[in-house]
Amino acid sequence: MHLNFDYLVVGSGATGAIAAKTLVDKGVQVALLDIGEEDKQYKDLIPNKDFLSIRKQDARQHRYFLGDQFEGIPWESTRVGSQLTPPRSFLTRFSDVLFPFDSESFQPLESAAKGGLGGGWGLGSYVFSKLELEAVGLSDYEMNASYEEVISYIGVSGIYDDGGKYGLGSNKKIQPAMKLDVNHQKILKAYQKNKSKLNKNDIYVGQSVLALLTEDKSNRKAVQYRDMGFWSDTNKSAYRSWMTIDELNKKSNFIYYKNCLVTKFEEFDEGVRVFVKRTDTNEIQVYTCKKLILSPGVLGTARIVSRSFDYKKERLPIICNPYSYMPCINRRQLGKNVDQYQTSFAQLVMYLDEQKNNFDVGVAALFSYRSLLLFKLIKETPLNFADARIIMQFLQSSFTIAGIHHPEKGSENKFVSLVKDTASYTGDKLVGQYILSDSELIRNINREKKFKSALISLGCYPMKTIQTPAGGSIHYGGTLPFSEKNELFSVLKNGKLGGTKNVYVADGSGFKYLPAKGVTLTLMANAHRVAKNVLKNE
Amino acid sequence: MLTDDRIYSADKFYSMEAEVFTAYLISSSLREREKKLYNKAMAHLDLKLSNFDKEILKRMMKSKTNMATIDAGLALIKPTSLVRRKLFTMLAILEASPNYTSYFIPQEYNFSYYFKLAFTSFRAVFRAVVGFFLVKKIERKCI
Repeated sequence: MHLNFDYLVVGSGATGAIAAKTLVDKGVQVALLDIGEEDKQYKDLIPNKDFLSIRKQDARQHRYFLGDQFEGIPWESTRVGSQLTPPRSFLTRFSDVLFPFDSESFQPLESAAKGGLGGGWGLGSYVFSKLELEAVGLSDYEMNASYEEVISYIGVSGIYDDGGKYGLGSNKKIQPAMKLDVNHQKILKAYQKNKSKLNKNDIYVGQSVLALLTEDKSNRKAVQYRDMGFWSDTNKSAYRSWMTIDELNKKSNFIYYKNCLVTKFEEFDEGVRVFVKRTDTNEIQVYTCKKLILSPGVLGTARIVSRSFDYKKERLPIICNPYSYMPCINRRQLGKNVDQYQTSFAQLVMYLDEQKNNFDVGVAALFSYRSLLLFKLIKETPLNFADARIIMQFLQSSFTIAGIHHPEKGSENKFVSLVKDTASYTGDKLVGQYILSDSELIRNINREKKFKSALISLGCYPMKTIQTPAGGSIHYGGTLPFSEKNELFSVLKNGKLGGTKNVYVADGSGFKYLPAKGVTLTLMANAHRVAKNVLKNE
Repeated sequence: MLTDDRIYSADKFYSMEAEVFTAYLISSSLREREKKLYNKAMAHLDLKLSNFDKEILKRMMKSKTNMATIDAGLALIKPTSLVRRKLFTMLAILEASPNYTSYFIPQEYNFSYYFKLAFTSFRAVFRAVVGFFLVKKIERKCI
């Protein structure tokens, strides 16, 4: 079977969706190849109500809170992806089979879902500073235009407060910030009181910048503060990439093919041949196109490129932000009731800008803990369950979780390799290693200490620091680093894959540095930029 | 494969377990709906208890005090014990039921509650100390 197209996009995640949209908006014919897993089990079960009302009224809540196979009752120790609730578990369905990965020190997460891992995105939308973009390998001039386009399309809310310069850049097309719950109002008040001391210690606190609507936008509604953000996407107030795919599906110049696992490509005079293994029939199909845009995610692209270049490079570098979190107790909220209406997403963000130049900034996002249910917290205490329930129920309203991301660069101890494995679905598997050097570990520990002391100044007492395994931040980059030279296993500045004529990379494979600020908005802006370059080079 | 009689007796046993666990966890009686859900969960999880787990469970089922003390000991010595997994599953089922929501959601507490909290904390520590030695004793007996 042979199918012929002008532009083929691989992957429907944050980058694939934006690349496809940019091309479709210019009127060219685009096809998107995707595996396209969807949730059909829980989506229609979740009532369009707030968390507390659901808890008090819905007799079927155990189905989506615990899962039909009780998969929402975690027993094993913390693993990457364990934060995904049963209605979000489709995001990683079949990943083990389709994307085999073997490593003792690295546990990345990949998705075969329509909309990719963006379906579980925490919505943090940060504009990188000029220095950060330079370190990534991108030009701020090109990126600023793309940031504006993407922000205006997906809808971002925020405010120009002390955190504004770290998250918003110079973008003006933002919606008002969401309202804070009482827990975070108290933390922000404490910050304002201790501001000069904290600023002296390089700590700045601001409201979160999120891809969350606070005002209606076409068919998407403003956030209704129902605290169900980890469970459903009702009213579409949170941006998810599948929304873009659904919107594109209504256009005549776009075709969406699901059940397509792209394995490799080869170039010929007039274009590119793309080899696909259908996940429903296992049939091999060949598609041809004039231009191919790869955006299946950093590891997916590494697989496709390695196969296409005959496994020529033994090791590909990789970077992933180290991530840890600290459950804290906000003393001002002890024994107090909480708002019925709030959001599940990060409400405040602490920035640690040690160099005072908006570069290598540490980021701690602050969340209230309620909608992920109390029993998961009770399990973490060294007490009997009955007494732990009474104590944790009391403490619950004061729980604040600080999720800490560290900036990250590559090193020779951080790599992946695609090796033959005849037993696997694609005949190969990725193996890898991710080991931080002593100096990197010390740097991260010192940063965490500074966050800890700042949290205490704000009245939030950290109980412990939980380190997630490497891969836990789910931010990956750098397998095909940006380069000026047109060489294999690199990406040129315009997004073209080194050594090819018509293959482009729209995901984060080229990123040589990952700031601690969430990378998703920048990935989308880069995908927009690359898609524009694809059209320019026609 | 289990015969109808054995399925019936497994269900009966799980139901009894569910009732005792609920009395221990939230000092309340258990409704039929949550009992059925616990049976379903146990059938699905199909936990294979070791001799030690069986002995622990037998002792725990005798009284609420035993249950609390041994659970506290397990939390320190064997937090991933299968018996604790059973208890944890029951706890999750109770939390995800509208009939028991008030035992889990945040509340506005009055000052007298602080005494209850102080007492609970003291009791938890006491149970942990006694439970530690009790579980060690049972462990030695089972080896």
